Amino acid sequence: MADIVKDEILAQEETDKAIAKEAELQAAGGKAEDDKAHPVVLETRGVTIQFGGLTAVDHASIKVRKGLITALIGPNGAGKTTLFNAVSGVYIPTSGEVLLNGEHLEGKRGFQINEAGISRTYQVINLFRSMTVLENVMVGMHTRLKSNFWSDLFNSKKKREEDAEAREKAFEWLKFVGLDEYANSPAGSLSYGKQRLLEIVRGLASDPQVILLDEPAAGMNSTEKLELDALLKQILNMGYTILIVEHDMKLIMNISDYIYVLYHGALLAEGTPEEIQANPDVIAAYLGGEDDVI
Amino acid sequence: MKTNSKKKILPLIIGAVILLALPFVAQMITGNDYWVLILCTMLIYVIAVSGLDILFGYSGQISLGHASFYVIAAYTTGLLNNYFNIPLFITIPCGAILAALLGAALAYPASRLKFHFLSLATVAFGEITYYFLYTSPGGFTNDYKGINIRSIPFLEGSYTKWYFWLLLWAIIFVVAKIFIVNSRTGRAFIAIRENTHAADGMGVNVQKYKILAFAISAFYVGFAGTMYAHLYKYISPETARQKQSVLFLTMMLFGGSGSIVGSMIGVVIIEILLELIRPLQEYQMLLYGILLLIVIIALPGGIVGGVRDVMADRAKRKLQKEGEGGAQNG
Ligand SMILES: Nc1ncnc2c1ncn2[C@@H]1O[C@H](COP(=O)(O)OP(=O)(O)OP(=O)(O)O)[C@@H](O)[C@H]1O
Ligand SMILES: [Mg+2]
Repeated sequence: MADIVKDEILAQEETDKAIAKEAELQAAGGKAEDDKAHPVVLETRGVTIQFGGLTAVDHASIKVRKGLITALIGPNGAGKTTLFNAVSGVYIPTSGEVLLNGEHLEGKRGFQINEAGISRTYQVINLFRSMTVLENVMVGMHTRLKSNFWSDLFNSKKKREEDAEAREKAFEWLKFVGLDEYANSPAGSLSYGKQRLLEIVRGLASDPQVILLDEPAAGMNSTEKLELDALLKQILNMGYTILIVEHDMKLIMNISDYIYVLYHGALLAEGTPEEIQANPDVIAAYLGGEDDVI
Repeated sequence: MKTNSKKKILPLIIGAVILLALPFVAQMITGNDYWVLILCTMLIYVIAVSGLDILFGYSGQISLGHASFYVIAAYTTGLLNNYFNIPLFITIPCGAILAALLGAALAYPASRLKFHFLSLATVAFGEITYYFLYTSPGGFTNDYKGINIRSIPFLEGSYTKWYFWLLLWAIIFVVAKIFIVNSRTGRAFIAIRENTHAADGMGVNVQKYKILAFAISAFYVGFAGTMYAHLYKYISPETARQKQSVLFLTMMLFGGSGSIVGSMIGVVIIEILLELIRPLQEYQMLLYGILLLIVIIALPGGIVGGVRDVMADRAKRKLQKEGEGGAQNG
């Protein structure tokens, strides 16, 4: 009897503490509210990547929050793609940590990281060119399908059912970006802008916790860019989380919830689009470089 | 849907009738069963070349030492049966499985190699197999003399029986290939061939699938090797040499790699060509060389690829014409 009462009192104390802590955090800038609605899904802590003597990424720490668009910008050669490669397992960070929902990813291989829930697109288009558009999306589902070599070899009923379902789902993805009429064409035959869209749905097909988009607007014309803007918002509304690298400042300032600026591998600034646009360091970095994008 | 399946059934029936009548027709025309034996050889090669195609055509890995798997499996079934009297229905799968295991073992380190280094590694594997069989410890492989092997009892003495037996297996292996390449596994193979980097990014365990492709491929070639050994009742280290590996490769490339029918077309055409130049045995390698040059320079997709290109071109022109017509009308 006494024990139960004691437990209750302890529990009450715990909640009181939690409430007090939350109030404290809220006072510190509304972060607690953010944590609840948009918890951190992906985080890098002090990630450094060196190529021989060159430090391409220098102690970069970023947080990607669930259900938001986080952007990574910076002049050419700032290390944005390299940081993406470190997160997605192309490179193993020289030092630092990469965490997905608290689970360590650094040192894992690309396919394991995809399975864990991070998918991506590439700055230089990397489609399976002679496979059909539909099959490209189906490869994107690889880690989510259960059939194995033996069920494939014997063409089991389960495999056929799963395959038909996957085909249908892939077709839905193509419809989503308006590529359904090209479903059976080779991916390499698509126009540049359409190939970029295909890369995005191929990445989404694994139903990732975070999708990394490396310059999705590169090579797109202004209409395509407007469509991309709307598409990214739609993807967000479906509950996905986006980390985007992009040089098109109009697009970035319009869609991003939070922005990190990389400069010579190190973080120069972070904040909301308004904060970034007003940041003198950022302006200097862009004007100072040979970059002409802002 | 209905008309579609009807359309598919008719050629299937015609094909089946031709395949069933073929050995009898060959015998009637030539008056002996030599060409039935050639047909049997073709069926064996269809299995082997289809297997090589799973490796090269689908997963994009090269092997210039595939004859090793062919010969190792042949020796395995032959020696197990000769020395220990183990029945063939056990020794034949043993041969094919050993080939698959060796394929996987070779692929494990080789899967990290770049294309040209992989080709060198497989050449070395072929040479090692040859010299091992040629001068084996204690001479248990009968060295350069090769070994005599029993025929499969219920097929002995009749090439026509052999033909139907091999036809059955060729169909099984080709159907299995169709299932494999049109599945999650097959898509993983093709993704690796098309873009290894992106395959990894999309969650495909590249090393695992490269090893799997090697093992499947070696199993096909190994099974073909056991059939060859029991059909010809003899195998020697000579068959492990480059010539046999190059023959498989030429058949695959000439017919068209990454294709189900390509492997078959390549086997049939090249086997017929080989028979036609049989009096000029020493020019066989020259023929392979010429055919390979033709494929590389003029017909990169092999016969199947060439036909595909022509048809795509026609369809395009037709579309263009229609487009022009429409424009004129408008
Ligand atoms: N594999 C590599 N080996 C050596 N150096 C590399 C490698 N990859 C990138 N780098 C170097 O690292 C630096 C950062 O490159 P990165 O591609 O990450 O820049 P980025 O911010 O993506 O630039 P961009 O906007 O042009 O895409 C550059 O100086 C680049 O030359
Ligand atoms: Mg980049």
